[in-house]
Amino acid sequence: MDICSDAEISRPEHTPGEPVHADAVIVGAGPVGLFQVFELGLLEIKAHVIDTLAEPGGQCIELYPDKPIYDIPAVPVCTGRELTDRLLQQIAPFGASFHLGQQVQTVQRQPDGHFLVETTAGVRLLSRTVVVAGGMGSFQPRRLNVDGLAAFEATQIFYRVQEPAAFAERHLVIVGGGDSALDWALHFAQPGAQRAASVTLVHRRDVFAAAPASVARMKALCEAGQMQLIIGQVTGFEATQGRLTRLKVSAGDGVTRLVALDAMLVFFGLSPKLGPIADWGLALERRQVVVNTATFETSEPGIFAVGDINTYPGKKKLILSGFHEAALAAFGAAAHVFPNRPPQLQYTTTSPKLHRVLGVESPVFERRD
Amino acid sequence: MTHVVLESCIRCKYTDCVDVCPVDCFREGPNFLTIDPDECIDCAVCIPECPVNAILPEEDVPGDQLHFIKLNAELARGWPSITKRKTPPADADDWKDRKDKFKELIR
Repeated sequence: MDICSDAEISRPEHTPGEPVHADAVIVGAGPVGLFQVFELGLLEIKAHVIDTLAEPGGQCIELYPDKPIYDIPAVPVCTGRELTDRLLQQIAPFGASFHLGQQVQTVQRQPDGHFLVETTAGVRLLSRTVVVAGGMGSFQPRRLNVDGLAAFEATQIFYRVQEPAAFAERHLVIVGGGDSALDWALHFAQPGAQRAASVTLVHRRDVFAAAPASVARMKALCEAGQMQLIIGQVTGFEATQGRLTRLKVSAGDGVTRLVALDAMLVFFGLSPKLGPIADWGLALERRQVVVNTATFETSEPGIFAVGDINTYPGKKKLILSGFHEAALAAFGAAAHVFPNRPPQLQYTTTSPKLHRVLGVESPVFERRD
Repeated sequence: MTHVVLESCIRCKYTDCVDVCPVDCFREGPNFLTIDPDECIDCAVCIPECPVNAILPEEDVPGDQLHFIKLNAELARGWPSITKRKTPPADADDWKDRKDKFKELIR
């Protein structure tokens, strides 16, 4: 997936072995995680940012990229995508390292007080501080719920396409009615090097949540006999010798069809799951991380939690509350990163030091006599 | 605070909501779902999933359905967890536009 922003995003090459030393690791690249980069940056703390999604933005990108947000101070209205793009632009001076498309699995305190953070992609960071900005959890594909089908995941059933070439000349069933389902159905049904032997699109309603042009193209390909559309739901399957051979697809008219296949791609969208955060030893209350509101530190000194993931008396899940929390968490983190040099509050309007870290010119104030 | 399943769910029980819940807080009864208020984190992801708009945040529950707040909490204690969508009752569509379904609730 492409990053939909002009902002420079650094994606470091990973070399296995020794963990990379860091001052701060931010878990979650939603709006609050991104603004955390900014607040840490002002205090001269460089951050690594990790997110399960392949692009930054979190809920703003995954749940409401095109819906308007009205409660960002001084921004009367913007969409989730615009907010994300503006935050990326705002944090660009701080050169954060992004580790996207991977989930933090473990956070373990080391004897020297640092935290070893390990991701599903094998990235290992040894950090002085961790800021959990995990929102409602990491976004995971919604599964197709048919008893017994899970056994074929990763061999014949896929929730994302990693190597499109693997599906060329295969009999494919694609399930879903959004852009991902349509785009991949068209990709594999159209003439080209990766054309499948057959493509059957299964969607439960004759209404698609995809670009109208894609829907029109799909219907044209069906007319031309280059792919098939079935309005219905997968309700069962047949397997021989451990391989999925045929799917039972029940249509609204009560007819159940058997569809032979080599592989199935399922695109039901993503939904958040709290996931491994629950296992990091942090004090939780109703599955949210308890923090103190002076520094947004958790029960583990050096680990902070900001945004929707945390809880405290009076908590409101608002993006703007998350921004405030990120500012105070940055000062809390700075006390760990620079124990002998407590950070001073300075203003971006007047501080030459902040102008230097932001990479902007200091204004010259005219003297009024 | 919590989110609450309201009257429209009764005899429909489409279960689209349970798939998206990040904390698995739905509980299943014979013809109704409830949200366990001790587990719900008010993320609101389930609200748009419901085909009959049966889920609302506690503070938006209309006056004539306020008793559902207590009812969700009570029923959640005795009903099993449901975390995967299942096929709705065969006559679910017949009930989706009906009002006054409270007497149909099976506990």
